[in-house]
Amino acid sequence: MLLRYIFFRTLMLIPVSISISVVIFMIVHLLPGDPIDNLIRVGSSPDDRAALVAKYGLDQPLLVQYFRWIGAMFHGDFGEAIVLRRPVADLIGQNLPYSLQLGALAFAFSSIVGIVLGTISATTRSAVVEQFVRGFILLGSTVPGFWLALLMILFFAVQLQWFPVSGAKGWESLVLPVLTIGFGGVALVARVTRVALMDVRREDFVTLLHAKGLPSRTILTRHLLPHAMLPVVTILALRIGWILGGAVTVEFVFGRPGLGSLLIRALGQRDYPVVQGCLLMLALAVMLGTLIGDVAQAAMDPRIREART
Amino acid sequence: MRYATKTMLLSGTALIAAGFLATAALAQEATIAFSSGELGATSYNPVTSSNLNSATGLIYDRLVEQDADQSYHPHLATSWEEADDGLSWTFKLKDGVTFHDGTPFNAQTVADWIPDFTGTENEYLVAAIASVEVVDDLTVKFVMSRPEPNLLYNLSSAFMGIPGQAAYDAMGDDYGVTGAVGTGPFKFDSFAIGLETVLVRNDDYAWASDLSENQGAAHLERVTFREVPDQSTAFLELKTGGIDVLLGVPTDFLEILKAESNIATIQMPGTGINYMPINVTSAPFDDIKVREAVGLAIDQDAIVASIYNGVGAAAHNFLISSLPESQVDPALEVSYDPERAKALLDEAGWVMGDGAVRMKDGVPLSVKLFTQNGTEFTALTQVVQAQIAAIGMQADITVFDSSTIRDEYKENRHQLAVRGYDWNNADILDWFFSGERLGYPNISMWNDPEGQRLNLVAMTESKNSAEREANFKAYHEYILSQHLFVPLYQPTTNIAYNKDRVTVPDPIRGTRFRSQTVLDMTVVE
Amino acid sequence: MTSMTGTAARMLAGFGTTSLGRAFGTWLGRIAGGFLILLLLTAIFAPWIAPFDYAAQDLLNGNAPPGWPHLLGTDQFGRDVLSRVIYGARTSLSVSATAIAMSVGVGMTLGAAAGYFGGFFERAVMTVVDLTWSFPDILIALIFVAIIGPGLTSTMFAIAIAYLAQFTRLTRAQIVRLKRETFIEATINLGARPRHILLKHLLPNAVAPVIVVGMLAIGDGIVLEATLGFFGLGAQPPTPSWGAMMSSGTAQLFLSPWVIIFPGVAVAVTVVAVNLFGDELIRALDIRDRIRGA
Repeated sequence: MLLRYIFFRTLMLIPVSISISVVIFMIVHLLPGDPIDNLIRVGSSPDDRAALVAKYGLDQPLLVQYFRWIGAMFHGDFGEAIVLRRPVADLIGQNLPYSLQLGALAFAFSSIVGIVLGTISATTRSAVVEQFVRGFILLGSTVPGFWLALLMILFFAVQLQWFPVSGAKGWESLVLPVLTIGFGGVALVARVTRVALMDVRREDFVTLLHAKGLPSRTILTRHLLPHAMLPVVTILALRIGWILGGAVTVEFVFGRPGLGSLLIRALGQRDYPVVQGCLLMLALAVMLGTLIGDVAQAAMDPRIREART
Repeated sequence: MRYATKTMLLSGTALIAAGFLATAALAQEATIAFSSGELGATSYNPVTSSNLNSATGLIYDRLVEQDADQSYHPHLATSWEEADDGLSWTFKLKDGVTFHDGTPFNAQTVADWIPDFTGTENEYLVAAIASVEVVDDLTVKFVMSRPEPNLLYNLSSAFMGIPGQAAYDAMGDDYGVTGAVGTGPFKFDSFAIGLETVLVRNDDYAWASDLSENQGAAHLERVTFREVPDQSTAFLELKTGGIDVLLGVPTDFLEILKAESNIATIQMPGTGINYMPINVTSAPFDDIKVREAVGLAIDQDAIVASIYNGVGAAAHNFLISSLPESQVDPALEVSYDPERAKALLDEAGWVMGDGAVRMKDGVPLSVKLFTQNGTEFTALTQVVQAQIAAIGMQADITVFDSSTIRDEYKENRHQLAVRGYDWNNADILDWFFSGERLGYPNISMWNDPEGQRLNLVAMTESKNSAEREANFKAYHEYILSQHLFVPLYQPTTNIAYNKDRVTVPDPIRGTRFRSQTVLDMTVVE
Repeated sequence: MTSMTGTAARMLAGFGTTSLGRAFGTWLGRIAGGFLILLLLTAIFAPWIAPFDYAAQDLLNGNAPPGWPHLLGTDQFGRDVLSRVIYGARTSLSVSATAIAMSVGVGMTLGAAAGYFGGFFERAVMTVVDLTWSFPDILIALIFVAIIGPGLTSTMFAIAIAYLAQFTRLTRAQIVRLKRETFIEATINLGARPRHILLKHLLPNAVAPVIVVGMLAIGDGIVLEATLGFFGLGAQPPTPSWGAMMSSGTAQLFLSPWVIIFPGVAVAVTVVAVNLFGDELIRALDIRDRIRGA
């Protein structure tokens, strides 16, 4: 039953991917300007420009350009960057590891700290602790990321000089970016964990466990947390796009390479193949995340399987 | 869960310790951050690339070098001779020069290299060269299809750094990305696109130009070039020791740097102008009086004094002052004269009403003022806005990214724009004012028969440099007489370095930060 | 049309002024609500409150530290930071509130239709909406602004699109939940028309949670506006917005930190106040469970 569900959910991805590729292509070509002006320099003639436009096929009808792109895509060819002059696959390959590194660490940081904080705030009897955690969650979800990053640079990199101001060299350069992204993530995870725990606690089986005389601690770690993890896993899986692409601001402030900065640079230069490649990558990651989230839900709750297939 | 928290704390401590270690000085090394204008280079292939950075100038040598005063100096060419009719050039080459891969540099190298440009976007650099003849091992002759008084300028550009032909042919598309071979004082070591480039010393180097004091191998053993996208961040890196040298410091940062005891700055004469093109096709600027009035409203000296703290110079025409073509009739130069500006607007029918904005036929004198994002231009634009408001013209600012703003120009939706260019040759006039490039780069949208005639004469009918100079001066003066733009500011190129870590020669020779400077740099022990 | 406005009026009536009053019941609610009212008044009466013209340059008095007469100092151009923060409240609040209002309007329509009609329509709407939700709001906004050009209008649209998914999902969840409830079943059995059911019974009951979440989202909108402003894409100079004031970069933190710190504090305090008050409102309306249902 579950396998059947996964199969149909995966099959659904094909029409969705195709529509997304059309949307992405349209968006990219809606942008005002074109990449060619980034190639010409003082001294080249208007004819040179026309030749370049023809060379990259930008004078062709959009439909032709689309099918050319998507056709190459089917052969695993992401095309060649116009301004950056490298195969798009190479460029993504160079930048993706930085995004994954940052994303994975921020993900781990926000899951661990978030679940711990969420659990504390859901189980504590001390009003002070609860207010403290609540305040932390509030700050984490309201302070703008770039602002936090600037303040951390000011304090930890410039005043204390513990960490480098920018760059992507060595582990020490990861600390401040991970904290910046993680702070917002912690708030999200903590909030979801807290709510989920409080929901589960109300269920009958928990009352039963308490009645059986199990210690609260065992109930929490053996029964409550595993049940409460479902919404947490779901929300994290759904947010995979945020983890890969949402680091743009942080990458910008800390001068780090990554999928987000590649996309922004290519967007600024109208480097169509790169923008299309990055967006498609992100969209695929998002869909995969959604799939994982859905399957996780379906695996734990058979009603969803039936309802959705 | 408790275990996980503990490991995180432990690794956190390790990270902090590593941070301390990284700041410890390493011998004979320097880290240099590129200026914002040269970020994003994806290749060190000078022949095919359209975007080269300063590190390119360390890997390759050129036949000719240009100094800050625009004079030409021998480098791999020891001397040269131009035929009287301008139809051939003969270059004598330096003896004993070898590429990083051990192959020798000689006349055949040059003869093989020039045809590499065919079919590339840089072909125009050698377009006037019909063929290259090897006269003897160290003499090469360029046979020209037309006189090209600008040839030495082209030869001194970064795009004409000479690559080792064997490696160039062997590596194909990977050339310039995974490796690059030149005759320069530094060898290509590694290149991570968008991140950093590592160069190591060429120990055999003994053929420096007379622009550097050190004629042997460089003092520095290793140079790391870093891309720091944001200038503010780069400044903080310099302050905290993450980088040793910062190329291209925005002038408005100099005041901040002054407060730092460990940082020294050097100003090189700039190679460009910040200016405000005026769209002559868009009312009210189709009226030359209104165009002239806008120019007279700009107080260039106040701009230099306030935004740039007195660094750099006021611009009164379109060319940098070290170019002879910039020495135009003073009556044509654009300077501050608000009273005349107001009188001109009155003459044009734009009269002061009750408010602060002039009116004509019930229409307020309200215009669009565009600029590109980047703090440098937004600051200048806001001052320009305030200055033209003083003569009763209201301007609304829009800040665009560089691709969108070019689209706006091409669609003819602009009126005034604040921008800059970086080019130390008079042919920039052709680029920005030729009637063949309306919209962009001819943002002024100016197409005038007399202008086109003068353009053609300057671009193609000059037989030698003296004639070229006179022709471009005449073109420049005619452009000024038409009030197509307002000159604002001549920036300097500012370099900042950590003087506890390195020494940098001051003044810096040459038009740009290149091998001549790095050869003389030393590490402070 | 008249029936539409009538419905809207009933929705607001259902939302109730008494619950607003109840949100002021706790001291946290009073502080947060009081601050927001004060801020709103400041934004409305900015021209009378601001000590200086927000755009008046005084180049010789640039980067002056806080003191007299410039209580919060001046920026690079010698403009009064306090006046700019006060006017910035106007920009930031109105941009965010308008954007969220648009988002709520479209989101409610889409969500209600999807929830009510179900089937293929629902699946199509939710697929598209989920996809926009999965992309980081800043990326959506950056791309959108790149397409239609910078400025406050495009910032508004960008924010509206970025939060559209949230309201669509929430409304749909409300409608789906309400549809199962007995009084609706009763109405259907009594032979009411679908349009009537949707407008008269379902939407008014779904509106309270959506409006509360919308209020909370105004906080997020302010943050997104600030981030776009930081990238130089929001308000065009010299119009002040809190984000645009911070776009001068990290170096400014050293030369004149007040130029960046004060607008940042304004954003942080406002957004915290919005969230606290929103929380109190949720508590007062007792709709916590319904909001989570989305």
